[in-house]
Amino acid sequence: MNSDYLDTERQDNIRMLAESAQTFATKASPLTRARGLRGSASGFDRSFWGKLAEQGWTGLLIPEAFAGYGQGFGEMAAVVSALATQVAPEPVVPALVFASRAIEHTGNGDLQQQLLASIVAGELIPGVAWQEELAGLQVNLLASAVVAAPTNSGIQLTGEKHHVRPGADCDGFIVTAKQGNGLSLWWVPANATGVKVQSVALADGTSEASVRFDGVMLDGSQCLAQGDAATVAFTRAYDEALVMTGVELLALQQAMLNMTLEYLRTRVQFGKPIGSFQALQHRAVDLLIQQELTSSVLSQALVMLDGADSNAFERSAMASRVKARASDAGLLLARESIQLHGAIGFTDEYDLGLYVQRALVLSAWLGNAQMHRRRYANLTQMNTASV
Amino acid sequence: MTTTNQTISQSTGQTTDWNALDTETFRQTVRTFFEQNYPAEMRYPKTRLRWAEIKDWYMTLSKKGWIAPSWPQVHGGMGLSPEKLIVFIEEQERWGVGRAPDMGITMIGPLLIQYGSEEQQQKYLPKIIQGENIWCQGYSEPNAGSDLASLRTDAVEDGDDFIINGQKTWTTLAQDATHIFLLARTDKTVKKQEGISFLLADFTTPGITVRPIRNIAGHEEFCEVFFENVRVPKANLVGGLNQGWGIAKALLGFERIFLGSPKQSQYALSRVEEAAHALGLFGDQGFVDRYTQLQLDVADLSALYVRFVEQVKRGEKLGPDVSMLKVWAAETFSRLANLLVEITGGSGAVAGDIEVNGKKIDVLTSFYNARPATIYGGSSEIQRNILAASVLQLRS
Ligand SMILES: Cc1cc2nc3c(=O)[nH]c(=O)nc-3n(C[C@H](O)[C@H](O)[C@H](O)COP(=O)(O)OP(=O)(O)OC[C@H]3O[C@@H](n4cnc5c(N)ncnc54)[C@H](O)[C@@H]3O)c2cc1C
Repeated sequence: MNSDYLDTERQDNIRMLAESAQTFATKASPLTRARGLRGSASGFDRSFWGKLAEQGWTGLLIPEAFAGYGQGFGEMAAVVSALATQVAPEPVVPALVFASRAIEHTGNGDLQQQLLASIVAGELIPGVAWQEELAGLQVNLLASAVVAAPTNSGIQLTGEKHHVRPGADCDGFIVTAKQGNGLSLWWVPANATGVKVQSVALADGTSEASVRFDGVMLDGSQCLAQGDAATVAFTRAYDEALVMTGVELLALQQAMLNMTLEYLRTRVQFGKPIGSFQALQHRAVDLLIQQELTSSVLSQALVMLDGADSNAFERSAMASRVKARASDAGLLLARESIQLHGAIGFTDEYDLGLYVQRALVLSAWLGNAQMHRRRYANLTQMNTASV
Repeated sequence: MTTTNQTISQSTGQTTDWNALDTETFRQTVRTFFEQNYPAEMRYPKTRLRWAEIKDWYMTLSKKGWIAPSWPQVHGGMGLSPEKLIVFIEEQERWGVGRAPDMGITMIGPLLIQYGSEEQQQKYLPKIIQGENIWCQGYSEPNAGSDLASLRTDAVEDGDDFIINGQKTWTTLAQDATHIFLLARTDKTVKKQEGISFLLADFTTPGITVRPIRNIAGHEEFCEVFFENVRVPKANLVGGLNQGWGIAKALLGFERIFLGSPKQSQYALSRVEEAAHALGLFGDQGFVDRYTQLQLDVADLSALYVRFVEQVKRGEKLGPDVSMLKVWAAETFSRLANLLVEITGGSGAVAGDIEVNGKKIDVLTSFYNARPATIYGGSSEIQRNILAASVLQLRS
């Protein structure tokens, strides 16, 4: 990503972090590791999570006040990108961006302190349970089917959420619930009574979960935020997660394009490298253009997230722009890379498939391109952040 | 050759002139038969069905006289007109009937009918119809894909036999096949295309090894096939010695007609339609616009298909323009598969089925199947090269 917007010192730091993250990821997470974990019980490796904690990456984004390292999105992007390049299956963006930021943006001091400290320590892997539509083209950020309602014995949580990552071995959920006419955000441990986690296998060998809350009793201390504060905190974390998912998708695009270019240069048919055929040259260029569009919108988005002068509406519109471009370009790169490889690109043993399957997962997660174009249209046409 | 418009059904001994039926009656007949006889649990399979799974259905069709809808009736086919053939395909895809190993029906059968000796026809055609012989296609090699003529597997004459050595790859369902038709080099001294012969081999011949390859959907649907001093009789040569390239090119015509059929697109269209109903998307104008565009792409694909099938039925040779059929068929299928992934939204990467309002939606099977559709049988790029050079006369 182009980082010209930053002061030189920060740029240098990010570059160094990116290099060391890439060195670490290549060594500690070769593609054979990603391949081997596909379809395993949790789909990722908890001991590898410990290594991420040792690197300080589980607390990279978390403010120093909460025992973290207080780095920005530019720095986090360097780490996320390196791990995505190795198709590492650990839920970095779901736990360390989406969930962590949702917690950080809320105001419950004690719970916040406790959860964030466990996340920094690498002991807690949380997920966010927000999405209620199983399928279709709607993105409704605000909960409606999952309800937190008062009963004689306290507040009770009922309803079902979908597409929660990680889909297995998740320690607990930040749950968005409808409460009265507003939104509330709750922390619900995965082992709480009444929580039913159903793992759903995904294309890349990891999983997501449908999580049912069957009258889960909530204690006031589990409430992270309520009303407007909940909406603001959740929306902001969601938008940040969209952008960081875009970072992952860009890393996948780059990996796929590199592999494809290498193949175009070396595969010989009709006595020449297939990359010498103009029809394929133009196709490769089209892929480059999509990759660079993704990279450019991401650069702007990262500046915005790291800066102080954007408002919620601008961030949401920007995040949806990123997710729309990165998802579409990711799927295009996936399809075209297979095509330009020919039959070998369709085999499981060839590593291209690892990127293709992850691109499928990430382009659908948090809403696909079409859903985010719709969100963008709603946001900009209504010129309001409440979508 | 006698021509007859009658199919003699083996089970009942009755004869039917399918083309004499009006379209609606024919459609109902086909639909009812599929609905009543095709096993419900095998509808819309996620993988190419293996012989053990689809065998009973193959035999059911075979007994009914329906296993080879497009073959002439003298050879045990239904002798369908292009319009009736389309109806047959539409009904098959509407009901989600699985595809049996069909290289015998769609490729080598028609080829032998046209180019095979009488002896070869008698030896092989009935066994295809009866499901005794299952064929696979051995053209591609690791270094001979689009550039097929550079193939290196060789066949050396030795008395009454050929001795074959080499390797084929991407051979679809070779693990279930009893026979392979292959291209092998029989003369290394001439221009690439002029030293290739078309051979038939029985998989029980010593020296043949098959290794399945897993695809990105996780299924073993194609294989590598190794030949080590495999001895096949000269009677297995189709056409003349070193005439294989011309024959293979003629077969490519059949293949393009088959691959250009609206079958896969019909399948994907029916999947999109069912999913869209379950998701309530027919009230969404953005979706309806895209759906209708693709629906018409499929309808016009059928029209193009009929045009080429009619040409074949009239006994005319297919020209290079048939490539456009294959391009449009494969790419329409691919666009439909994309739409299915898109409308399943957050579930767009779910590995199995999702259930929406009681309806099961299979999200990714079409997406995976659409990938090789633009690669096998001549990639879209190769087809465009052919169209540009041979139809449009644009050459460098
Ligand atoms: C699922 C599947 C099933 C198959 N089943 C069979 C089978 O049963 N039997 C069999 O024999 N084969 C089979 N094949 C092989 C198929 O025929 C080949 O994959 C195809 O011919 C392409 O060859 P290749 O894969 O080696 O790709 P390559 O020829 O290496 O092509 C790689 C890329 O370069 C492009 N390209 C190549 N040359 C040119 C050019 N001159 N101009 C522009 N672009 C070009 C191609 O379009 C492609 O995008 C199967 C393939 C698949 C994927």
